[in-house]
Amino acid sequence: MSSIRGRLLKWLVGPILVVNLGAAALTYLLAWTPAQLAFDEGLRHDAATLAARVRAGGAPALALAQADDGAGESSWAALHDGSGRLLAGAPRLRPPQRTGLMDARLNGEPVRVAVAEAGGGLRVSLARTTRARQQVRAAIVRSLVLLEVLFSMALVGLVWFSVGNGLAPLARLRARLDARGSADLAPLDDAQMPRELVPVVGAFNALLGRIDAGARAQDDFRANVAHQLRTPLAGLRLQLEWLAARHAGDPDTGRSVALMLQANERMIRQTNQLLSLERAEPNRFARARLAPLDLSELVAESIQGFVEQAARRDIDLGFELAPAPVQGDRFLLRDLVDNLVDNALRYTPRGGRVTVGCNTVDGAGANAGSLLRVEDNGPGIPVHLREQVFERFVRLDEGTHGSGLGLAIVRDIASLHGAELRLSDAPGGGAVFTVNFP
Amino acid sequence: MHVLLVEDDAVLADGLTRTLQGHGMLVELAVDGLQADAQLQRNPPQVAVLDIGLPGIDGFEVVRRLRARGDTTPVLLLTARDAIEDRVRGLELGADDYLVKPFATPELIARIRALARRNAPKTGIISLGNLVFDSGARRARIGDKPLELSAREWAVLEYLLQQVGRVVSKQQIIDTIAPWGEDLTLNAVEVYVSRLRLKLEGAGLALRTIRGFGYLLEAAPPAPAA
Repeated sequence: MSSIRGRLLKWLVGPILVVNLGAAALTYLLAWTPAQLAFDEGLRHDAATLAARVRAGGAPALALAQADDGAGESSWAALHDGSGRLLAGAPRLRPPQRTGLMDARLNGEPVRVAVAEAGGGLRVSLARTTRARQQVRAAIVRSLVLLEVLFSMALVGLVWFSVGNGLAPLARLRARLDARGSADLAPLDDAQMPRELVPVVGAFNALLGRIDAGARAQDDFRANVAHQLRTPLAGLRLQLEWLAARHAGDPDTGRSVALMLQANERMIRQTNQLLSLERAEPNRFARARLAPLDLSELVAESIQGFVEQAARRDIDLGFELAPAPVQGDRFLLRDLVDNLVDNALRYTPRGGRVTVGCNTVDGAGANAGSLLRVEDNGPGIPVHLREQVFERFVRLDEGTHGSGLGLAIVRDIASLHGAELRLSDAPGGGAVFTVNFP
Repeated sequence: MHVLLVEDDAVLADGLTRTLQGHGMLVELAVDGLQADAQLQRNPPQVAVLDIGLPGIDGFEVVRRLRARGDTTPVLLLTARDAIEDRVRGLELGADDYLVKPFATPELIARIRALARRNAPKTGIISLGNLVFDSGARRARIGDKPLELSAREWAVLEYLLQQVGRVVSKQQIIDTIAPWGEDLTLNAVEVYVSRLRLKLEGAGLALRTIRGFGYLLEAAPPAPAA
């Protein structure tokens, strides 16, 4: 994977180092050349002095005697005549071919040689070791390398920091995207964005918009289908009820119509559950719609339907309602109550007993907050199946008609409200569902 | 009772017509908004049952025009959508009640009757089963036999009859029959109801107890054929 930071660093640090190296080479030349010239000038001056002495008629041996300067450098002088014959001085110095400065080796050591005319075809050669020069050069190189390393490190650090600084808006953008909820498709705000990022954010927002529109269209489609089904289902129910009343005396027709009514009820229920699921989708859940509600009032609003359903199955349905304030979405909580009670009425055997209660508990205990309880005296739910019942499309009793969605809806809605959903044994056998609102 | 039913779905309209007729109502049907608007002006019903999603002008618009004319005919809106916005909008425009399809038939009947009573003069005579209850004359009878009731029993029965087919809570009964904060306990309500139950024997009525909540009065189902 390529990285903008990597690319920037490569294309900034590389050239900077090359330029730096070039500058260092130039600095080296600028420092070393004058030093070299100064040394050469000293050597030539010494050679010229020797030559002047020879010309003045001084004894060559004497004139050449002070060859060792004692400054850590060794020097050798020699006097040759025009034909290259050594007249005095160090025999190892070769007869010079020309006057001026040249490099040579003597005793296995590099030396610098200056040759001066001493008149009458005589030439004075003065050779000197280059130890001082090497020291100066080493000092220059050492300083340069040290400076170069320091500068380069400072530059790389600076570039690193600047690149990081320059990329900070990207990091902030990423942090904002990371912090979003999984279903948050709202466009990004580009007010604080650097100019270079605005087109990127714009393109991203356009994409978000398309995804959002797609998701909405899909939701709307499902909701529409479910809504469209409601009118014909309502019509069918009324027609079947009329038929049932008309043929009350005819057991065969009556039985058939009763079965059709049951199927109609199931279709109605599943259509409603589909819409409930739709409403309980986290991205449809609007916190703004949360309002202070009372569970006892919500249950009271749903009672009419429960009573009819309980009467059909000959179930003794009772209530123990005390004020239980919660913050919630009225429609979702109605769905929660409906599905929980429907589940109990559905799975409690004929002639059984179902009690719906709510109350509120002060303090900080495990049961503190507002509680909704639905208790039945049915067969109960074995411990090992208690997690499963909240999964979608799980039905424990294959003989009972249900979509397997009811308790999944209850679980979804409870979790949207931050409520804890518990399933336990009723004192006399049977199941107790408890929803504990914070 | 004269009901104007406005519903464009033929199956539902037919079913509703027969169901309402079965409950002794006189049903006039309109299948679109403009027709409904015209019939509401020509022959005002006691209650209008109005679908929201109609061809032409929708149910909201029909209610808006009705109320703009100063017409107070009670309106029950029917809708396939249960979005809160629809509910709020319908009630804001002046509809009196709201029912989401598919509805339970007893619920529909109870709501239509409640709306009809709201506009009817207080002197109405209610008959249910063998009971004839004349709230204007403050007389009641079961069949030919006069029914003797105390003032409190009378008030409780009147309220239950107004809410027939609907579950009412004990608290609602207290709030209705003793609205000025008189000291009436839930136990007292239970006593009145149990006396009423005794006195209503043979009236063809079922006064059911909803454990821990309240009561439901309805016509007793016909005895199952033996």
